[in-house]
Amino acid sequence: MAIDLRYSALKKTPFHSRTSLASRTNHWYTWNGFTVPTEYSTVELEYTAARNGTSVMDLTPMGKYEITGEEAHAFSDYLVTRDLSEMKDNTVAYIIWCNEDGKVIDDGTIFKYSSNKFMLCCAVKIYNWLNDSAEGFNVKIEDVTDTIAALSLQGPTSCSTLKNYGAIGLESLAPFEMKEFNIDGNNVLISRTGFTGDLGYELWIDPKNAEATWDAIFDAGKHLKIRPFGMNALEMTRIEAGFIQTNTDFMAAEDALRPVRMRSPYEIGMGWLVHFKKKNYFIGKKALKKEKEMGSTERCLVGLDIDGDKPAHGSVIYNSKKEDIGIVTAAMWSPTMKRNVALASLRRPYGIKIKDNIFAEIYHPEEIEYRKIWAKCKVVKRQFYSPERRNKVPADLYE
Amino acid sequence: MSEKKYDAIIIGGGHNGLVCANIIAKKNKKVLICEARETCGGLANHEIINYIPSIPNSVTQSIGGLNLQYNPKGSIALSESGRHIRLIGNQHIDHATISNFSTQDADRYLEFDNKMTQFSKTLGGFMMDPPPRVMNNSFSDYLKLFKLGFNVRMMGKKRFNEFARMIGLNIADELEDNFESVLLQGLIAHDAVLGSNLGPRSPGSLINLLYRMAIHGNSLFGGIYEIEGGSNKFISVLLDKCSKNNVEIKTSASVKNCLIENDRAIGVELHNGEKVFGKTIISNADPRSTYSSLLGSQNLDTDVKRRIKHHRSKGRVAKLSLKLNKIPEFNECNNDDLNSRMVISPSIDYIEENFNPSKFDKLSSEPVLEICLKNNNENPSLDIQVQYAPYKAHGGWENIKDDYVNSIIKIISKYANNIENCIDSKTLITPDDLEKNYHVSGGHWHHGEIQIDQLFMLRPIPGAAQYKTHLDGLYMCGAGTHPGGGMHGISGKNAAKVVLGDL
Repeated sequence: MAIDLRYSALKKTPFHSRTSLASRTNHWYTWNGFTVPTEYSTVELEYTAARNGTSVMDLTPMGKYEITGEEAHAFSDYLVTRDLSEMKDNTVAYIIWCNEDGKVIDDGTIFKYSSNKFMLCCAVKIYNWLNDSAEGFNVKIEDVTDTIAALSLQGPTSCSTLKNYGAIGLESLAPFEMKEFNIDGNNVLISRTGFTGDLGYELWIDPKNAEATWDAIFDAGKHLKIRPFGMNALEMTRIEAGFIQTNTDFMAAEDALRPVRMRSPYEIGMGWLVHFKKKNYFIGKKALKKEKEMGSTERCLVGLDIDGDKPAHGSVIYNSKKEDIGIVTAAMWSPTMKRNVALASLRRPYGIKIKDNIFAEIYHPEEIEYRKIWAKCKVVKRQFYSPERRNKVPADLYE
Repeated sequence: MSEKKYDAIIIGGGHNGLVCANIIAKKNKKVLICEARETCGGLANHEIINYIPSIPNSVTQSIGGLNLQYNPKGSIALSESGRHIRLIGNQHIDHATISNFSTQDADRYLEFDNKMTQFSKTLGGFMMDPPPRVMNNSFSDYLKLFKLGFNVRMMGKKRFNEFARMIGLNIADELEDNFESVLLQGLIAHDAVLGSNLGPRSPGSLINLLYRMAIHGNSLFGGIYEIEGGSNKFISVLLDKCSKNNVEIKTSASVKNCLIENDRAIGVELHNGEKVFGKTIISNADPRSTYSSLLGSQNLDTDVKRRIKHHRSKGRVAKLSLKLNKIPEFNECNNDDLNSRMVISPSIDYIEENFNPSKFDKLSSEPVLEICLKNNNENPSLDIQVQYAPYKAHGGWENIKDDYVNSIIKIISKYANNIENCIDSKTLITPDDLEKNYHVSGGHWHHGEIQIDQLFMLRPIPGAAQYKTHLDGLYMCGAGTHPGGGMHGISGKNAAKVVLGDL
């Protein structure tokens, strides 16, 4: 079949006219069928904005699903491993969900408007999974990815930027709370959430107001080091924050071709999100309970502090006997902390009981040659970076 | 919690439920059966069933003997010309019979019969025991699979290749390759698709025939019986055993759902609000009802819901019962013939053309019929299995039932001219009626298609074989489990064995 070249197969987000103007590199990637910038200028500048000013990212391609109906609360609680039964209106929760074998499909956030209305956000498309899971529940699942435009504003001056923009009283919003604001006659839902481990907010707006909102926000933040922010810089900030990325740090159970690549929550440091005390059944409970009882968890995802300053991208991790014990899933030199950090998936007991005498074999590229480095690692908390301002209420304001 | 607690509560008093109850109760366990209808027996009822295989020894022995008298039944493929084919399951006699039509067919029939018998025995050995459980990784399960593979391989290279060729084959190709008599083709093809949602040209219709043979004594046309006193006699004998073994039976006790505590089934709640508690709960209901209603979708993993959703269980057989004031005169049929299983299925194409409209939930004007004349009491009747009657008919069954009945009678009148003058009353039970009145979702005889993806360790769905469900303490013993439908009680027996092991 001939391709009709008059139309693009890639969708443009409602911010596209602005993001394309801002792009100096013409680096784009596809995310859930949308085209969005990988980086606008340089990754260092964008990263610096997120840590020292305000970074603005177009989040529209994120999968967004509205769950409505009488049993929306019960269904949400059934869908995820975390106990959501006590979740309050206008709050957000970080969640993971599993398949019947207790292997993680994806992580995301769930927004509770009321007990009849929730919204689930995640990186990939999961409409079929939600719909099939909803059988037997009085709920309606709707894919609202295209009908809600989303922006993420992260960084120390993000609160001030949004306040200038018109979000009056935003500083009193606590982490994982959300609130509807009326700005310039339009409803803007703002949640204090993000993927950078810093102070930050996400905006959920009507696509027809997208461009005006973008313009108004950049106006409001022009003296607050505001800068558009792409995927590459996000990768840096999320590693520092110790957040996991599906299909990078672990294979999504629905995507993994090899069953042995699927990971349970305990294997990716998400055990704290599994609540067996929940009153009702949740997907994967039977398998997870068995894993917990048998102690059959095989791997773990840990933070590594690595000697030297060469990032350990894709490095194999060894014990002192030079036996292969795992792999680095994400690595970086952290400019803020001046530390060489990495996330690594290790074979237990390494990373849990044995935390010392672990080595990374780093192949450092130096102009078409590799330098091999044998670097000592220390197992540390995965959350490398967590500034005090992140959870402070009221949030810090700057003039 | 109620002071009385049963060792086992069986939901549904069909023949498998009764077999299962008796075996468990014999070990001095307290057993309760909750039957939704006013009487036990389920589909093992003369309203539904005409013929049965002989109940396997393993089943009769485990309940301490069943005193049943079997009358073997021959099969007769009716021909409009009056040149009927009569087969009784005895190779010498059947060979001679077929020789009258074609000597080539007669010799080929022997070969076909031998081959099919061997395949059916190979599969049959695997059918009597609980199947291995996939997704379980246990050594004994692998051993069982290995044994099946070994048995299949031991047939020799030639037969093994033939087996591999045939396992997914449609019956029409195989029959057309072998036989020239279209009437003979029609008769064998009829038995291959009876009770299924397949036409003779549908892939997999051959394994359906092997399955039928495995239940009917590994024979093509032997092993078909009528129980003296009717199919209900089987149930009344089982009920006698129940009272001897102190099995409690509640009738008109329809179960609403399972009671679950700490991820385990602990009892059932009836529709009247009554709660009964038991150490184990055994469902004789079909898999879809068991999972969706008893266990409840809210307690299932999504993957399991998907499997249940994909479970194929739409029935395609209706039962027409004609009460007679006199015996109709079938062309060229003697008393022995009338006493046989009379099949109106003149050719493969006839069946296939009949099957086609059913795919669109429409009716064929020329249905395939298996006719049983019951003449052992004052009110003779013709009990007819009619294929293919869709589960939900286009336009609604209530509007087209009468026309359908008339078209069936019209077909019979080609073989028995005076049929219309012999009829006192007519009753048609559609798959839809089966679902409503007998609580079988989809109205499928076998609680689910007998197909390679729904057999053995995949029956009813992967992960739920070995009579266990996804909920601890809840078991299944109905036709939806291995080895599946047919009036033999092996499912009930095997389930009892598994439950006793856990009690």
